[in-house]
Amino acid sequence: MATFRLQGSRVLAVDMTGDAVKAKNGSMVAYDGQMAFKKMTGGGEGIRGMVTRRVTGEQMTVMEVKGHGTCWFADRATEINLVRLTGEKLYVEASNLLCTDAGLRTGTSFTGMRGATQGNGLFTTTVEGTGQAAIVSDGPAVVLRVSQQYPLTVDPGAYIAHQGNVRQSFQSGVTFRTFLGEGGGEAFQIRFEGEGLVYVQPSERATIAGDV
Amino acid sequence: MPFREINSKMIEATVQPGAKIFSQRGAMLAYQGDVSFTPNIQGGQGGFASMIGRRVAGEATPLMTVEGSGTVLFGHGGHHIQVIGLSGDTLYVEADRLLAFDGTLQQGTMFLGSQGGVMGMVRGQVSGQGLFTTTLKGHGAVAVMAHGGVIEVPITPQRPVHVDPQAYVAHHGDVRNKLSTALGWRDMVGRGSGEAFQLELSGTGAVYVQASEEKL
Repeated sequence: MATFRLQGSRVLAVDMTGDAVKAKNGSMVAYDGQMAFKKMTGGGEGIRGMVTRRVTGEQMTVMEVKGHGTCWFADRATEINLVRLTGEKLYVEASNLLCTDAGLRTGTSFTGMRGATQGNGLFTTTVEGTGQAAIVSDGPAVVLRVSQQYPLTVDPGAYIAHQGNVRQSFQSGVTFRTFLGEGGGEAFQIRFEGEGLVYVQPSERATIAGDV
Repeated sequence: MPFREINSKMIEATVQPGAKIFSQRGAMLAYQGDVSFTPNIQGGQGGFASMIGRRVAGEATPLMTVEGSGTVLFGHGGHHIQVIGLSGDTLYVEADRLLAFDGTLQQGTMFLGSQGGVMGMVRGQVSGQGLFTTTLKGHGAVAVMAHGGVIEVPITPQRPVHVDPQAYVAHHGDVRNKLSTALGWRDMVGRGSGEAFQLELSGTGAVYVQASEEKL
């Protein structure tokens, strides 16, 4: 299986011995040895996956990188976080997914209203199986634990991914003040309950929530 | 080595009497001691002929001479800074990435077309570097700017390294570079993997790669 390691916090080095990884299109910055790059039409997973992604707007342009040697990946100088999956599911925005083991399955899942406030649509990408994945964040991400006693509330613009058995619900703090233009800028939040981990970045994407 | 890294975006240079440092104009952040900054009209050293050379080559980044005795802090645009030590070998870097360098280093320009002919010229265009690049040779330190962090990838005769032209920062050593293409019909119809062009570096040395595909 390909080995993922971080070189600094913004470059991912993947050592491969004939195996393959899936990576965001165009994210290779250097390689040695022999590598082949192939675009996975429609993001892989066959026609079904392609159609789902089209319909849900969770577009990914993914390439398959296969070969012998080391391949380095990076994306717009954003920080990289390694996630090891052992059978569980990782929920991540397609735009934050940098690289995964080729053995991991990717799919699409409905997120409800959360997506709409994030400007990411109503769907999110799921990664499932056993292996490693690399996700990017704007600034170093923190991993926050959610447990039965301690639910977590996150700004939609700062949320990047989560894993585990977690329910998410959408909260709005919209009051009449919001409509008067006196909002605190935190009109929408996502609440996570259950058992799991949530990845939060120290930066906020432009969202509808940030404007009201 | 006159450069000390304060953090990833700032360096401190020690200036001693009789020694010169060249830096990009406007890159001084603060200084202590008795230091003077003179704009360098020639854009470096080597006299009139090399000035014309640089003008023609488009590698004429405004430089200034830093002299005196004291310490100077350099930084520019919040870019990441990498200090590279040279011990007799040649560093190839684009002029606008140069933040500061030892005055003892010999500055020159190299025509990219001289390695690899027509493909060399294409390479300059593809990587956004133009047709010329700046060379620095000798013993001393160079501070180079990059977008995001920088990694150093060693090049050995057994292991040539391929680099995304947009992520390439600089290289040194006895290295040949050529543009390699993996252009297939898929790229022509817009279905490529996004990795159609690569710089292939072979020989002995090292290449510096930035964690981003954005130029400065």
